[in-house]
Parts: sequence; structure tokens; C-alpha cells
Amino acid sequence: MLTPDPDAELVRLAQAGGTKAFEALVVKYQRRIARHVARYLRHAGDVEDVVQDVFIRAHRGLASFRGESAFFSWLYRIATNAALSHLKRQPAEVQLGDDSPEERATAFEPGVSDAADPERTLMAKQIAETVEKALAKLQPDLAEALLLYEVEGKPYAEIAVMLDIPIGTVRIRIFRAREFIARRLEPVLGQQRNRRW
Amino acid sequence: MSLKVSLLLDGQLVAGEVKAALDEAVADPLLRDRYTVYGLVGDALRGNSTPDDGYSERIFERMRRDAARIEPGYDPLADKGS
Repeated sequence: MLTPDPDAELVRLAQAGGTKAFEALVVKYQRRIARHVARYLRHAGDVEDVVQDVFIRAHRGLASFRGESAFFSWLYRIATNAALSHLKRQPAEVQLGDDSPEERATAFEPGVSDAADPERTLMAKQIAETVEKALAKLQPDLAEALLLYEVEGKPYAEIAVMLDIPIGTVRIRIFRAREFIARRLEPVLGQQRNRRW
Repeated sequence: MSLKVSLLLDGQLVAGEVKAALDEAVADPLLRDRYTVYGLVGDALRGNSTPDDGYSERIFERMRRDAARIEPGYDPLADKGS
């Protein structure tokens, strides 16, 4: 059974020229795309440039997106192409060994790309630790709903069946769980507020 | 309210509600902040590296600088080069 694309309406608005709709998609997927791109590249500075290219290409090509796949799948393929074309433009001396880009992606070690930037690594660590601590204090029924959605990738409707609760309750639990964690992140993120969307 | 932002992030709103939620977020920096942070929480739970240092703002700045626009006929999946 085909799952409806959760981004379909934001994409439709973006295709109609809605800048903010496209920005909402950027904010939603920037980190997942960065992680995917980082699997191919070894230099943190290159990752951000390529991620920018990915979203520029996606925006330019929005009219060609017909919804035959989920928007994120389409974006993911654009990211793969952009990362590979970036690698092909690199001088031979900065490429690692004789492996193909695809082989290097397979051999990716998480965290390698961030190691070059201690500040970014530290910030990511603080966020991860705060989220983990907040999760440990979260009401179990809220944590369960959030983890089923975010980590297990279960759709809301399936979570409702699994937990034997109305889908409206799933919506509320996930929201309350996020809000609980977001409040505990405020001291960590506070100074960055004006640098977000 | 932030519940709508949570539902917007997850694609749980119907068409008309998406536009309304987006309009509310555009008008309210706190809602946009929540949208960002809720997404960051999900990425952190999935183990994605999650620095929060204006990454998206730099993407938007690049788009403004490049005067990014939708180009009918351009297929990014066929773009293998520069």
C-alpha cells in the first residue's frame, strides 16, 4: 500500500512559489541530507557547500517533481548525485585511496565529518546529551509514542493501533513529548535562537 | 499553537490546514523556532549529528544570493555535473 507523502502539501505550495513552504522543507530535512552527504565526503566544510547545492538544485527543479516518489526520496537522490559530482571534481590527491565514491560511502564512520570542527561537535554532543536526559525524565507513554514515530518510523495510524489509543491521542502525546524536550533544550539553544528559521 | 507546528512537521495536517499553519509560523518567530527545535529533537533521537548553528539560515542566504528560482525544464536528477 502506498503511504501518502507527508510533504505533499508543502511541496505543492513551494511549487506554486511559496518560499516559506520550501524553507519549511529545508529546515525539516537539512540535517538528514547533511548526514547523507557526509557519508560521501571527508571534509566538514565541503559537506555544507554540497548541502546548499542540494537544496538549490531541488528548488530549481521543483517543477520536475511529480510526486511519483516521496519528496524526501527525491531529495535524497539529488543529494547522492551532488555528493558524487563534488567528489569527481576533487583533485586526485584529496581523494582517499582507490575506492570508488560509492565504496567510501559504504565504509563511512559516523562522526568523522564533524571531527574537523570541535565547536560543532561539542554543540551536537550537548544537544544529544540534553535530549537523552530529557527522554529519561519523560512520562513513559509520551516517550513511547515519540520513539515509535521518530526512531522506529511508525506512522501515526500504526502507533494508534499498536498502543490501542485514538490517533488524536497519538498527536497530543508526540507533541507533548517534543515540547517537554524542547523546554529542556532551551538553555543549550537559547543563544542560537536568532540563527534559526 | 505549537501543536499545529508539530503536526505540520509530521505531515498530519490536511491541505488547508497546512497553509494556515505555515502562515501562522511565518508570522510568529516562536512557532518557527519550535518547528526547528522539534525537528532537531527527532534528528537527535535518530543519532544524527545535530549542531544548531544557523545551517538553514546559510542555505536561505545562498538562495537569496543566487536569486534561486524554479526553472521549468530543469531536472535535478539528471544533473550529474557542476
